[in-house]
Amino acid sequence: MAITRRILGKLTLGLIGASTFGGVSFAADMPAPFDKPGDVKIALVRYLSTGDFFQSYLSGVEAQAKALGVDLRVLDSRQDAALQADMVDQAIALGVQGIIIQHGLKESMKEAAQRAVDAGIKVVAFDVDVENDQIPQVEQSDRDLARLALEQAIKDNGESFKAGYVYVAGIAPLDRRDETWKEFKKKYPGINEVAQFGTMDNPIANSVANQARSVISANPDITVMFAPYDEFAKGVKIAVDEAGMSSSVKIYSADISTSDIAAMREPDSAWVATAATNPTVVGQVSVRTLAMLLAGEDPGHNVIVPPTLITQKDLMDSDIKNMEELGAKLPQFAHADVAMPAWMPNPNAK
Amino acid sequence: MNLEQTKTLNAATGAPHPVHKLTIRELAIKYGFLVLLLGLILFFCAFTNGFASPQSAVFILQSVAITGILALGVTATLVVGGFDLSIGSVATTAMMASSYVMVVMGGDAFTAMLVCILIGVVVGLINGFLIVYMRVPDLLATLGMMFLLVGLQRIPTEGRSIATGMTMPDGSVASGTFSPAFLALGRHRFDFVLPNLVPVSVVVLILLAIVIWFFLEYTRFGRMMYAVGSNERAAQLAGAPVNAYKISAYVISGVFASIGGILLAARLGRGDIASGNNLLLDSVAAALIGFAVLGAAKPNAFGTAIGALFVGVLLQGLTMMNAPYYTQDFVKGGVLVIALVFTFALSQRRR
Repeated sequence: MAITRRILGKLTLGLIGASTFGGVSFAADMPAPFDKPGDVKIALVRYLSTGDFFQSYLSGVEAQAKALGVDLRVLDSRQDAALQADMVDQAIALGVQGIIIQHGLKESMKEAAQRAVDAGIKVVAFDVDVENDQIPQVEQSDRDLARLALEQAIKDNGESFKAGYVYVAGIAPLDRRDETWKEFKKKYPGINEVAQFGTMDNPIANSVANQARSVISANPDITVMFAPYDEFAKGVKIAVDEAGMSSSVKIYSADISTSDIAAMREPDSAWVATAATNPTVVGQVSVRTLAMLLAGEDPGHNVIVPPTLITQKDLMDSDIKNMEELGAKLPQFAHADVAMPAWMPNPNAK
Repeated sequence: MNLEQTKTLNAATGAPHPVHKLTIRELAIKYGFLVLLLGLILFFCAFTNGFASPQSAVFILQSVAITGILALGVTATLVVGGFDLSIGSVATTAMMASSYVMVVMGGDAFTAMLVCILIGVVVGLINGFLIVYMRVPDLLATLGMMFLLVGLQRIPTEGRSIATGMTMPDGSVASGTFSPAFLALGRHRFDFVLPNLVPVSVVVLILLAIVIWFFLEYTRFGRMMYAVGSNERAAQLAGAPVNAYKISAYVISGVFASIGGILLAARLGRGDIASGNNLLLDSVAAALIGFAVLGAAKPNAFGTAIGALFVGVLLQGLTMMNAPYYTQDFVKGGVLVIALVFTFALSQRRR
């Protein structure tokens, strides 16, 4: 299977290579409706848009849409659940062939998504469960994210250590990461969680830093901090630095950004590893999944984008300073072989 | 305005008369909050590890430094009978601006700070202008300013946070860095009792608290601001340039908020996208709790500083006892309600 995929991947690359020479002839090899991509209209209906993750996600969606040559409309509800549902209707009225629903509330989106499907529109949902068999779910696997980071923590620190844990309940990805943390605590009884804290008060890093400072003062024997969200990790790192404990505490987190890379690369940084899915890749996969549906192919119901473990050592050894270099030097981070049939143009190929 | 008039106005704002002997209830009103704070500190010292140390005293101060500075600024607007909802977003805008100046434009620490202070002054002037000359009610004018700034700070980077090596909207990579001098504002520590103990932000908080306290209580300008707040018409009839006093209150508030933003950027080492609403709410809470301190029943700088400290002690102590974040909001709310009862119910009865 792996070999077949690899061959497919090479084939794709070869095709793209050919396309740079062949140009127009390549478009003719595309399945309908992408043989005339200019006539294909798709819409991205967003619930969340503020912040680096969502910015990168959008750039991935745009890049893949451009590679396919389709017409992309972006509708942004800015965290207004009712408006997001209205925007799906708006997209239907615009006459789009495909819709990507990016986040949102199950309650408000379920019916709106069904209306779109009823109108003959292909729909893909990212990180919102609309409970519809005809709508593939694109997900970044939060459980895998947490698992990768925690496995690294156990590799570095052995099976028993005193841990601090940063968590805020009620936020879906954090809840899924929390499940993995609970499993690990059960599996390794030597992990002793002596403190749990966390807050979403913004700026999050600043508020978490204040909390973490108290926690490490009350529990100076903590050696591992599991902060499965990069804003949390950033806050913990500030507190650990301020307390002068960066040599005795190790921070394991999830997600990554350019400023996170800088923080991990600082001399004696306590932030040693993070597991992350590239939001740009998730954006690309969302569009590819939709494209497969439009071409009449089956992408499967759950399209999972695998995460990558990024350690401080990786960043130092390969001299990675920002997200672009991370993508260039850790190829598994820049591209996921997910929803990638042979005809699909790869937006990363130059 | 002559001395007699000032006295009358003081009486109207509820300044205490130290002439007669204090009853027990008056003692409770006057010192109740300070006793509560002391009790809280003793409680945490007894029941948590590591609370009773100079380090923890310092980080409690550090945790409230930024909200405290914002709270001192908003106190100035409360004194003239106004309100400033824009302080949180002024702080985050200053944070983004300083990051932008250094990381994207390659400027130095001094330029970055200058730009921030300038933003504070300009926002204060616009707020004041809207309120005084356009007759927009203070809450509405500063609410508008808040939204304006939350949007504005995102426009230059199209919603991205600012950090060295970030990709700009046009595809280029920002190569500037935070200057070490600027980062020192967030990371340098002065020797005090122990080496490397007191961070810059705490020193700034204490200095600003003393300055604004002296300014409001002991300068003519400050007393006149109280006069404007207690009875604008009377102050006007007494010949005070009421508009100028009001506008300067908003400028003070804007500048304090931008100083808070500078310290925030120096601590985080990047320009974080944030609305600053939590900063706003926490600092307003501190200023309102301050009403109750020493039975002042009016906005005052000393009370604001104590109010901020009170919230800080409580939150850091609870975190050390492993209390989850939602109990902390609950407790914060409880303290505020009790403080408001102190201010309004108990103090009113006295008169």
